[in-house]
Amino acid sequence: MGWAVTRAIEDLTLVDHACVIPDSDEHLWEVTAAWVSCGLEAGDRVVYFEDESADLVMRRLSEDRTCVRHAMENGQLVVVPTEATRSALAGSIESIGDILTGQIDETAAEGWPGLRLAGESGPGLMREGGLEKVVAFEQMAEQLFRGHPTARLLCRYDRRYFDDAAVEAMRSVHEIELVSPAVYDDTLLRITHSGPAAVRLAGEIDHSNRLQIRRLLLATLDSALRSHSAPTDITLDLSSLRFVDVAGAVGLVHAAEEFPSTHRLVLTGVRPRVVRVLDRCGAPFAEQLVVEATEA
Amino acid sequence: MEIKNTRTPSPLLTHVAGFHSSDHDLLEQLLPLVTAGLAHGRPVAVALRPATTEAVYDAFGSLPGLLQLAPPEGNDGGSGQTLAARRARQLRELTLSFGPVTVVTEHWNRFDGHDGSFWTELDAAMNIALSDLPVHLTCFFPEMPLHLEVVDGARRNHPLLLHRDGPRHNPDHRAPREVLAERPAPAPVLLGAPDTRMVFGAWQLNEVRATVERSLLAHGYGRDRAEDVVLAVNEVATNAVEHGTGEALISVWEAADGFVFEIQDAGSLRDPMPGLRAPHPSEARGRGVWIARQLCDSLHVWPDRTGTHVRMRATP
Repeated sequence: MGWAVTRAIEDLTLVDHACVIPDSDEHLWEVTAAWVSCGLEAGDRVVYFEDESADLVMRRLSEDRTCVRHAMENGQLVVVPTEATRSALAGSIESIGDILTGQIDETAAEGWPGLRLAGESGPGLMREGGLEKVVAFEQMAEQLFRGHPTARLLCRYDRRYFDDAAVEAMRSVHEIELVSPAVYDDTLLRITHSGPAAVRLAGEIDHSNRLQIRRLLLATLDSALRSHSAPTDITLDLSSLRFVDVAGAVGLVHAAEEFPSTHRLVLTGVRPRVVRVLDRCGAPFAEQLVVEATEA
Repeated sequence: MEIKNTRTPSPLLTHVAGFHSSDHDLLEQLLPLVTAGLAHGRPVAVALRPATTEAVYDAFGSLPGLLQLAPPEGNDGGSGQTLAARRARQLRELTLSFGPVTVVTEHWNRFDGHDGSFWTELDAAMNIALSDLPVHLTCFFPEMPLHLEVVDGARRNHPLLLHRDGPRHNPDHRAPREVLAERPAPAPVLLGAPDTRMVFGAWQLNEVRATVERSLLAHGYGRDRAEDVVLAVNEVATNAVEHGTGEALISVWEAADGFVFEIQDAGSLRDPMPGLRAPHPSEARGRGVWIARQLCDSLHVWPDRTGTHVRMRATP
């Protein structure tokens, strides 16, 4: 096995057995939701082995405006419940292999063109049999997926469960590591670019990271003002912003008020909780601030 | 560039103290104030003892312009600043709709607590909370109350004293900051052992929020209400680590009919009664505690030798 090749998240279709090393929980849900929605879009069957995490993946999918109801109803998206995931991971590597093979056969029998797997294997395997079991699993999976090119697997290694040496070891046994660059990620808040003069915020804004947000907002405005082709709306996608404190909301309102009259600050997908704080902080009176609430 | 002030100037708070020697004397001074307010076509709001209230309604009947202001309440002796915040909220709405308002209130020894300092705290807090409102407020006190503090506090808090010929300048008047430095807001009654305690710093505010939110939802608070209470707690907790020593302690008493939170830090207060004055839109600071006061049923701030304490109560 060679060195890992890093791939951007946009290249998901090229990947058969990849790993991701998330910077934060928000990063993890971002990548997992992208993996699921990419599979659904390609028409593949998607199986997610949850460990009390399906709600969080589903939440991110809905924030990404990926509709999964239909896919859940017709069996294209399957969530393996926590109990079943745990008992599968408690078994031998051979029995885990049998479960994966069973999924591959079932997918072919139902006529789906391919299969994408993701879930909570890493922490579960680590709990059951330590790093040795994780490595054994990876070797088995590599073997299995080489023989079934239409099946793909996304493994993830959180630094919460794996130390640096283990993360490096896992990185080297995967040919491909998925990376999705963030503008900022302090594990409480993650910011990614979502277009020219547009960024997406996922997580929470409070006293600990408020100044960084303000700096970033001003830098985004600055580059938009310098570029003739950039839009006059600076867009913050807040679909995944779960909390903002009063000073953070006041900061957004003030930032918009200080914009040159040619530009507007547009907040999209704003969750009800964040809308209420903005309302209490004078957002309705800021002429250059547009708040687009998310549909319930 | 020409800068114009488009706001029409309106008279701001007039805060008058009146003293009476008997119930009869009280009504002789009080009823003309109600008459004058109603004659100007202004709303008149009252917060009086039941017997006085009855006498006012006997004299004027039930008029749409005659309203009741929030009374003192609470079995822990009450929080003067909480009552002032509640009355300010009521009066802000009234003045926005109807312009200047006449208010008449009265001392009631039931709420004296152990030394009468509730009234000193209340009037100092009223001076802050109502400072930008067009309210003509007259507070009546007995000449000989049980606790001398009631009269002493009244003489320091009121810029005007009511005489037979009308209000006159009071040379003993002091600014709220000075009054509160001499007699700080009292500590509320002690509660039993809390259900949860947690030491936190600026980087654990998210853990405080997560703990409080989980607990509120588990006790049947609705999602919106739980989120608002979490916001209130977050603002007070942020203040504690921002202005204090960097570390603070939160204690939580859980009950389905109302959570109590207490946050303490080792810092001292720059503003002895934070969050009472409505924040100006251009001010980034000071808004957090003001919003927390709007969201909680009570929010009481008091200092002691160990630092600053804030107790909040929030019903579902």
